[in-house]
Amino acid sequence: MSTLHVIFRVDGSEYALAASDVLQMESYTGATRVPGAQDFVAGVIQVRGRVVPVVDLRVRFGLAPATATLDTRVVVVQARDRTVGLLVDSAREVIKLLPEQIKPPPQMVGEAEGGFVRAVAHLGNRLLMLLDFAKVIGEEALDVN
Amino acid sequence: MSTPFDLAEFLSAFVAEADEQLTLAGAKLLAIEAAARRGERDPRPIRDLFRSMHTLKGLAAMVGVEPIVTIAHAVETVLREAERATKPLEPGASDLLLQAVHAMNGAVRAVERGAAVPVPSNALLAQIESLASGAPAAREGERSAVRADLLIDPAIDAKLDPFERDLLLKGIRAGRRALRIDFAPSPARAAEGLTISTARERIGALAEIVRIVPLTVPMAEGAPAGIAFALLIVTDASNAQLALAAGIAEGEVRSLVRDAPQLETTPREDESALAPPESMIPEAEHEAPRRNLLRVDVSRVDDAMDRLASLLVTRSRLLRAIAKVAEAGVDVRELNQVASENSRNLRDLRASILQVRMVPVAELVERIPLLLRALTRGTDRQVHLEVETGGAELDKGVAERVFPALVHLVRNAVDHGIEPAPERLRARKPAEGLIRIASIARTSGRLELAVRDDGRGIDAEAVAKRANAPVPHSNEALLELLCRPGLSTRDAATTTSGRGMGMDIARRIIVEDLGGELSLETEPGVGTTFVVKIPLTVAIVDVFVIECASERFVLPVSVVEEIVDLTTDRLMPPAVTKGAFHKPSGILHRRGESVLVYELGGILGLPGQASAARAVVIRRGGQPLAFSLARVAGQQEAVVRPLLDPLVRVPGISAATDLGDGRPTLVLDLMTLAAQGQRRGGVAALPRAAASDMRRLGDGS
Repeated sequence: MSTLHVIFRVDGSEYALAASDVLQMESYTGATRVPGAQDFVAGVIQVRGRVVPVVDLRVRFGLAPATATLDTRVVVVQARDRTVGLLVDSAREVIKLLPEQIKPPPQMVGEAEGGFVRAVAHLGNRLLMLLDFAKVIGEEALDVN
Repeated sequence: MSTPFDLAEFLSAFVAEADEQLTLAGAKLLAIEAAARRGERDPRPIRDLFRSMHTLKGLAAMVGVEPIVTIAHAVETVLREAERATKPLEPGASDLLLQAVHAMNGAVRAVERGAAVPVPSNALLAQIESLASGAPAAREGERSAVRADLLIDPAIDAKLDPFERDLLLKGIRAGRRALRIDFAPSPARAAEGLTISTARERIGALAEIVRIVPLTVPMAEGAPAGIAFALLIVTDASNAQLALAAGIAEGEVRSLVRDAPQLETTPREDESALAPPESMIPEAEHEAPRRNLLRVDVSRVDDAMDRLASLLVTRSRLLRAIAKVAEAGVDVRELNQVASENSRNLRDLRASILQVRMVPVAELVERIPLLLRALTRGTDRQVHLEVETGGAELDKGVAERVFPALVHLVRNAVDHGIEPAPERLRARKPAEGLIRIASIARTSGRLELAVRDDGRGIDAEAVAKRANAPVPHSNEALLELLCRPGLSTRDAATTTSGRGMGMDIARRIIVEDLGGELSLETEPGVGTTFVVKIPLTVAIVDVFVIECASERFVLPVSVVEEIVDLTTDRLMPPAVTKGAFHKPSGILHRRGESVLVYELGGILGLPGQASAARAVVIRRGGQPLAFSLARVAGQQEAVVRPLLDPLVRVPGISAATDLGDGRPTLVLDLMTLAAQGQRRGGVAALPRAAASDMRRLGDGS
């Protein structure tokens, strides 16, 4: 059984999330900053009348924030009772992945993305990194410590 | 409706109705227990409990939750015996019956979660059955006799309990008719208002429904979902009446009696042993259903509220657009008239929708007696509960959110307030402690809930010692100390409280989540009162739009005491304070009071030098304080949505709203901002001068 995945780019690398968890994708026109929130929280935006926090994935991965361009997208993810937007450089593709294409992450990848990658998939010469959404939104913060 | 039969909706209706019955059952059990303690024998609560069990059994059978059917039936049997024997229940009975209610509640929760329903423990069932004095063996014998006279489809017969066959047979003996009516839900019937629930109500008005058995049937025009319900009834009504009620053809009403209708007459005594006394037959099955009450899922009302929210946002945009054309020199008087009429209509609509969401405070408090019983059981404390809600109402959402806080306060009163009976007697108090919950609706759209106990009061010195802090000299300071995370005023943690989290959580819910206030009055030896003030509704509030460090925020109008123009009302330099935390930027003298002024931008950690042209004055713990900011841009109604995600749960920011520009504007919680210094670093951690300053900020001393 292949599953649909949404592919997006952050700092030149490609990441994937199960399409079933993705609520929608929005172009980014800035978020309302929330004073006192962690630095990787770009702010809150309004999605279909709901207020949703946005995590800047570049900052989450320890990179400097980038200026928004026409390609910048917010991937709105809904999983585990929470709805969070992920700020990414671009998001254009939806592809099917077979279970046998998905492999545990090599050590190196795991370290570079601060443990936010739960698996990888090879697609021709492309390397897709499957994001650990729970970790990105800080649900497993206790395990990390 | 696109789905022919919405199982989820059906189940959620079941959960709601079952919860209602279980709450009722809990209350009645307490009444029975109280009567037994007084040595009285009051048949009414027993009858009520019987009715509630009977209704629950019917509901559970309809959705096929057998464990509830089994337990409810066992309890029913006990009650029938008790009623017949006209004797009070045994002392241990109410405990056991409460366990049964608890087990049924567990089953309902499982249904709610969509999980497998736990099978009731045999031990519990056996214990319940042992309460009933009837001999089970005799009933086994009756069953086969009964079955011989009834003509029931084997598939349905397999699902019937012996007592249900008894009921059918008893009906026949009494000259009534035992019938089966099949009802298949379908979109067409739903469109006519006929669902299994309404069919049950309508037929229930004409007949005694013995059992409803869900069936899978071949999908057909009449049963597009492949589901039907067989209603087994005892009635005096005609087939035509019943067919009309259920919206089916007359031929579909089938008799459950074999062709030889005349049965051997059995001795009268035997019959009465099988039947519940007339007084105990559920009223619901005699009375016509009340039709002027509506049970609605809160989410539907929320939907309406969301629609209203978008209307309010559109209105804001409209007003902006009008302002724009007005700037261009266009005559907008008529537009303005229309707009203000529109505003009035929206306000009325808002009031109507909010009214729908209101629930009686009594409903919120009715779960407390069971809690109290659990808390005092097995202790040497006796507590009497008095509730005075005076018909006050509050928003369903607020009620649900404030309930855990109320539970914490009641627990505190029991565990830390009310003394053990011997200690009370020594202090010349009645052995039984008193907890009084009173609610008063305030005109300002706020509800006041007071939880008062006549216990020993709070020993400020002991609390201070425990917290390793100086002894607080005011109630406000004491409350502050009590709400420190992790503080426990008990040496040994009790099972119910004493883990030192109660007050902390209660205050977070009341102050931060609901934008309310919590205060405390205590007198050693006399008692303690906690007063909770919460907004009646949190969905739509009047706000000030402010600007600070070139960002826009809103503040609820209700917290602002006054807005001061700092360009005319000059600030005095503050007293010299050392320390790293926020320093007041000045002092404002106002009607004989000195008001410390803090720079809002600085407190929020916003970059840039904020200009301070205005100050908003608030009052916290009796003490005024002010925040300076650049501009107050206006006042309007705003639909406020709480920020619930942990990523943006920041003290001092409670919610977000849309002012019409399609992006969120943050709602500031000035009360928390004012208190933040105290809680963030902790008073003890700050240098002495700053610490004293903070204390002054927080309390009224």
